[in-house]
Amino acid sequence: MRCVMSKNATRRLVLIAAVLAASAGGARAQSAHDIIAGADRVRNPGEPFRTTTILTEYVRGKAGDQTMLAVYSKEDKTSGQFRNLVRYLQPPRDSGKMALLDGQNLWFYDPAAKSSVRISTQQRLVGQAAIGDVLTINFAVDYTGTLLGDETITDAEHQTRNCWHLDLRAATSTAVYSRAEYWVEHGSFWPIKSKFYSDSGRVLKVLYYRGFMQRLGAVRPSGAVIIDAVDSTLVTTVQFDNPTFQDIPDFWYQRDYLPRLRPE
Amino acid sequence: MTRWLVAVMLVGLGSVSPALAADEDTDLNRIPTEASPAVAPTQPAATSKDVNYIGDALELSATRNGLAVPFPPPQPPSWENWLFLDARDEWSLGDAWRLNYSGRLNFRTSNSIPFLTHENVRNDLRELFVEWQPTDTAWLELGRINIRNGVALGFNPTDFFRPRTVIEPLTADPSVLREDRLGVLMLTGQWLWSSGSITVAYAPKVTRPTPIYGIRTEQNFDPELGQTNTDDRVMAKVSLNLADTFNPELLYYHAGNRTQIGTNLTTPIGRSTVAYLEWAGGVRSDLIADAFRFGATTGSLPASAMRLLPNNADTSFMNDLSVGVSYATANRITLNVEYHLHQAGFSAEDWSHWFNTAAQRGSVPGVKAALWFLRSYAQDQQEPTDRHAAFVRLDWQDAFVTDLELTALATVNLQDASGFLQATAEYHVSRTWTIAGLVGGTVGGRRSEYGSLPGLASALLRVNRYF
Repeated sequence: MRCVMSKNATRRLVLIAAVLAASAGGARAQSAHDIIAGADRVRNPGEPFRTTTILTEYVRGKAGDQTMLAVYSKEDKTSGQFRNLVRYLQPPRDSGKMALLDGQNLWFYDPAAKSSVRISTQQRLVGQAAIGDVLTINFAVDYTGTLLGDETITDAEHQTRNCWHLDLRAATSTAVYSRAEYWVEHGSFWPIKSKFYSDSGRVLKVLYYRGFMQRLGAVRPSGAVIIDAVDSTLVTTVQFDNPTFQDIPDFWYQRDYLPRLRPE
Repeated sequence: MTRWLVAVMLVGLGSVSPALAADEDTDLNRIPTEASPAVAPTQPAATSKDVNYIGDALELSATRNGLAVPFPPPQPPSWENWLFLDARDEWSLGDAWRLNYSGRLNFRTSNSIPFLTHENVRNDLRELFVEWQPTDTAWLELGRINIRNGVALGFNPTDFFRPRTVIEPLTADPSVLREDRLGVLMLTGQWLWSSGSITVAYAPKVTRPTPIYGIRTEQNFDPELGQTNTDDRVMAKVSLNLADTFNPELLYYHAGNRTQIGTNLTTPIGRSTVAYLEWAGGVRSDLIADAFRFGATTGSLPASAMRLLPNNADTSFMNDLSVGVSYATANRITLNVEYHLHQAGFSAEDWSHWFNTAAQRGSVPGVKAALWFLRSYAQDQQEPTDRHAAFVRLDWQDAFVTDLELTALATVNLQDASGFLQATAEYHVSRTWTIAGLVGGTVGGRRSEYGSLPGLASALLRVNRYF
């Protein structure tokens, strides 16, 4: 009898342990998603906004090309992902070029040719529309995350940050990268660092967010540093200037609106 | 024991490994300490869409000897230089009104034209129009406007307003040719809604067609309406945003007594590829008949020239098609491959007639000129001469060094395997200076499309200063 009771108790314990393990696993996965979504809310406001993005390229530490873009971002309430319209403001030779980046609806407009060309997901990172890194993107929509653990890292301003370390895998065909690592600070949900990989598993870029300050209703990063892992001489700084909430009509996000978009 | 193992694993995850720390230090040490330079010029200029630059282009050309069909005089120049001011500007005329200008003022020198005469100066008025936006979603435009349709690179069947608009090409790259062409005097309207748009355009006939110009017959400041507005024309286009991956365009076009319909279809395939198809079709006669008729209308050819080559003057439904894919790699290379069908173009039999007529009747005055007129006409209309062609273009951004762009392209006549090849290197020296070099050439047998051209090879150097 005692033996039987013991067997039952053991079974119960095993069952409870299994349920706990399963729920713990579920909580861990849910937690990874919550962390990524939390960091998304730090990077991106829920309302449509416009920002002027300045990219400065440094070769061997020396400032070179500068690109200035006006970016109009609006969350698609159906998909949860952002739709982006990008207008090139500088350098002078690129002034007036435009890009529509809305899911897989990707177009590049050149005012000299007065024509729009559909581009692939890959071309957000190459060619004339090499702006995939500066778009407003909700990582929680495009990636599935796994919490790898906790890690203390140094941020772009040489401050020590206690972070969640996450592994992100592309969950949609519109994800800019197939894989990324992501470090998000405990408690504040500030995105601190990400590392992006090519399809073949090669590290392409390391990105540090920086300049956290009050803007668009919350404390958000005002810039980033993109360290090229392929070309060791190349670093790009990103500065998000003059962020402003702006009502953006849905009809803006189509190919035929590109020639009509004018910065205000 | 298990508890210790878990603890060790957690510590392992929570601490920074030496290798990771070293990587991180390397990364952090690469963050520039130098402050970002201020963006110049100031904001007002930066927020406009104006692009203005001064450029100079010098081209050297080599001609082919022993042509199957000798080229009538004047011979192509062996060198030409263009010094030009190119401007694309927009001015606001109030809340809902804008004035747009696009043009190029050229100072040309060449061994084919005398120096310091009126022939050295030419102004290309590409666009000049007023834009009115009565509501958030509607636009009306009036003036000389450049409307360009199409999703392909090498040949655009739905680019209905393309005939006779290319002025004087500095390159054969079709994607660049579109940047320097004349608009058409027209009235346009466009209405947008969240899932699509409608565009309509009406271009009136304002004058009779002028002959195809040569380097000695160009006009200095003539807007060339005799090239762009010689028929009443109407175009309607509907764009539909049916899905992220599918935004078809449907087009209707009527010019003179001919009607064409067309479509543009594109879709992404995976992360790196875009497939596209551009088609237009309508009732027309073939290229040879059209060319002879145009030559007679403009007085360039006698009406009897129609009998020089067999042609199909009767109209029938003919198709134009460009179908292709674009593939982008992670190292900034984009490759386009296209097949072109131009049903009104020369068949293999037409090419035989063209060469045989020159061989048999070339000594008759005017015959060789009439034969070459056919090819000039095709070029002037921006119609492919051949019926079946392949087009390949490779573009490599930041090739070897940042800001160096390499482009190579080839057009191949699939009937005789002759072709045109071109390679371009463009380097952005700074935010305001760009230099470029270009080499091109034609290859093929003596009795092939490209092997029969007088132009064998050319090299071009170009410098642009943006301001």
